[in-house]
Amino acid sequence: MRQPFYAFVRDLHLYGGLFLSPFLIVFALSVVFLVHAWVPGAGAPPVRRRAANVALPANLEQLKGREQLTALHAVLDTLEVRGEIGFVRQLPKPRRFVIPVAVPGRETVVELDVAGATADISTRSTGGWDAMVYLHKMPGPHNVNLRGNAFFMQVWRWLADATVYLTLFVSVSGIYLWTVLKSERRVGLILLATGALSLGGMIYGLTR
Amino acid sequence: MVSLAEKASEPLSGPRAESTRWQRWNRRLHYFLGLYFLFFLWLFSLTGLLLNHGQWSFAEFYANRRITHVEQPVRRPPAADAETEAKDVLRQLGISGEIQWLTAATEPTRLEFRVARPGLQYEIAADFKIGIAKVQRTEVNGWGTARALHTFSGVRLGDAKNQRDWLLTTVWVYAMDALCAGLAVMVASGVVLWWVRRERRVSGLLALACGTFVCAWLVVGLRWLQ
Repeated sequence: MRQPFYAFVRDLHLYGGLFLSPFLIVFALSVVFLVHAWVPGAGAPPVRRRAANVALPANLEQLKGREQLTALHAVLDTLEVRGEIGFVRQLPKPRRFVIPVAVPGRETVVELDVAGATADISTRSTGGWDAMVYLHKMPGPHNVNLRGNAFFMQVWRWLADATVYLTLFVSVSGIYLWTVLKSERRVGLILLATGALSLGGMIYGLTR
Repeated sequence: MVSLAEKASEPLSGPRAESTRWQRWNRRLHYFLGLYFLFFLWLFSLTGLLLNHGQWSFAEFYANRRITHVEQPVRRPPAADAETEAKDVLRQLGISGEIQWLTAATEPTRLEFRVARPGLQYEIAADFKIGIAKVQRTEVNGWGTARALHTFSGVRLGDAKNQRDWLLTTVWVYAMDALCAGLAVMVASGVVLWWVRRERRVSGLLALACGTFVCAWLVVGLRWLQ
């Protein structure tokens, strides 16, 4: 009875772990860049262009929230700028919009001049390492109401959650697989306790 | 009857004994790293989930924060750079944590900065002309502390003003680095464990390829396709 269950859990642990591996690598590598505030190759100069006669919805300045995002995405599509809108900065007096748009590895800032129907577009390639950092931070705690306005971000939001749940499953199933190995229990228990104590000690020191 | 698990770990003899010994150590490495880092991994996984779901009301922390104000006497530190002066002020106030500079100094007789540690934040405005430091202490609950542990590194991308200056932040950052290195080794040792199971090579390759494809689409593919 125990062996089929063990074999079943071992297979799930194996397949879950293999699927998870690239995500763990993305998260692990990006942590190193984030905690040392350094991303190699992220400083490429921007490429600028200007578009004239941009077709803008007449009520663009009156729209709010999701409706405004939908309208702006339609405008951005005509400018061939695609990605997740980070935020929308509306400047009422000069009648301008400043819109940062990102896909992992590329940042674009679009400045829309409503009165002149022009758009200044500045695009910067930030590279693969920065793409990992961007994904690590997304969807994140900021601009929650805007987040997920691009398809890839909706997918990533789901995958980021799935990564956590799968990590929990793989770790719990790993504990089960370890407990079955009677010969490794003592060392394993010592390491488990050492890990818990070192984490607890650090948290105590940081928060006391 | 010998269980599958024990069969997998029992010593073998013969021409492949050396390779088997290496595999056994690889398996041990996989287990032991996983066990040591287990709680670190759970902490960062669960706090990552919290950060991505700010709308979860049970984990609300900002609305429940506690703010207190105190004024304490403070002496002007000996002339030095801003960080050294700030550390002197902190020593006088009995506060420790990561110093954050938010604004440039406006007057030479004032020193304004923030001190942060997970769950706790002090806004300090020291006026050396009158010898008083105004301290605003903001404390958040356990959920806020947990979220802060996830992001607490003392530095931020694109913020050259702030450098890590608290020993415990450095220890915490090294712990995060160690977790990342541990995860990378666990992934590598896991791949080896899979590869030696010949009967699972094709199905395992499918699982690995699915994960790799999705990651590659996000990390590299999107900027070429869009």
